[in-house]
Amino acid sequence: MKLAFLLNGEAFETEAPGGALLLDLIRGQGLCGTREGCGVGVCGACTVLVDRDPVSSCIFLAGCAQGRQVWTVEGIARREPDLVEAFIEHEGLQCGACTSGQLVMAAALRAKGKDPGEAGTRDFLAGNLCRCTGYQSIVDSVRAALGS
Amino acid sequence: MDPEFTAPASLEEAVGDLERDGAVAVGGGTQVGLLVRQGLIEPCRLVWLGRIAGLREIRTDADGSLLIGAAATLAEIAASPLVRSVQPMVVRAASQVGNARVRAVGTLGGHLVHADPRQDLPPCLLVLAAEVRLLGRKGTRDMPLRDFIRGPFETAIQDGELLIRVKIPPNPRDTRCCYLRFTPGSSNDYPTVGVAALADLSDGMTRRAAVGLGGVAPRPLLVELPQLAGRALDAAAIAVAGQAAATACDPASDQRGSAAYKRAMARLWTVRALRACSL
Repeated sequence: MKLAFLLNGEAFETEAPGGALLLDLIRGQGLCGTREGCGVGVCGACTVLVDRDPVSSCIFLAGCAQGRQVWTVEGIARREPDLVEAFIEHEGLQCGACTSGQLVMAAALRAKGKDPGEAGTRDFLAGNLCRCTGYQSIVDSVRAALGS
Repeated sequence: MDPEFTAPASLEEAVGDLERDGAVAVGGGTQVGLLVRQGLIEPCRLVWLGRIAGLREIRTDADGSLLIGAAATLAEIAASPLVRSVQPMVVRAASQVGNARVRAVGTLGGHLVHADPRQDLPPCLLVLAAEVRLLGRKGTRDMPLRDFIRGPFETAIQDGELLIRVKIPPNPRDTRCCYLRFTPGSSNDYPTVGVAALADLSDGMTRRAAVGLGGVAPRPLLVELPQLAGRALDAAAIAVAGQAAATACDPASDQRGSAAYKRAMARLWTVRALRACSL
């Protein structure tokens, strides 16, 4: 199928198999910030935004992105550097494997426009697994990015 | 095999696209994408429903029934002020399915057609006497959800058919509902047991009580509790309900618990859910 969508704000066109998954397309473009952690949509390392929706790109059929806006961590870090700053300031990472996904989720949460509180933040991030930090520093980073 | 990918703009077009053998409908794609990625299904055509105007609509009928379009996402349902005011238990269950990424794109139709016996919404929709509407080349047909879900991953949907809408009739005046999910695993995970309790307490005593149970049988169970009718919803009545839930289960032992454990949890969480209804 012919695909055309905005990728990190820029026009992107390609020819892809009908069963193509968005993760493979993204990494095939050299945007390797988006990672495959589990391949079944559970861990969140592959999180990207499609319009305003955070999705597991490893199980997101690329055809569903047609004509829409796809944002990866590279694009989000460029357009919202203060998110990255918040993660550095609050030490919201160690090995970095989950960090791309956490940043994208933080951007998605912030874009909703209202602060869901600590419990709501934890609930929103609950699908992004981290083996290193024990999560508190990630929550602190995201809370800081939300301006609280 | 490389499938075709279509994005029909109308229900009519979608039904046409589904007429091919091996065509599969896609809502948010969280199940279909996974199955395709793992090579567990090899559809010849993927029919994405995301472009069909009106299929995500959430509204009420003239008689007060809640109508939810099959392409409404779980996140939209969880955030809907209308659903919250008319059927808050549905909001509660929808807001706990999977994780935020699943809820952002996963649709109600896809959820129900997938028919995993551990899912959160079917027990709620069963106690609420929900009905599904199916559309195929021959037209529409309506069916109670309890007849639609036949077994693990098995529904009454036929080839070439689409689930287009869920209808939930209005509740009697003083109906209390509570959905509780118990998962010893992560919040991402399916529950060991999900209990959707409903008690119609109009007239000051129980006119009807029922629980929907997920995760403890090959399909979600609707357990009517006629033995509670005409009495107060007190501790003794609730204990009877817990026993009925335990008896109704047919659980399989797995990493979410042994059969005996699941049966015990079905009893315990039924008691807790009905207790919440009685307050």
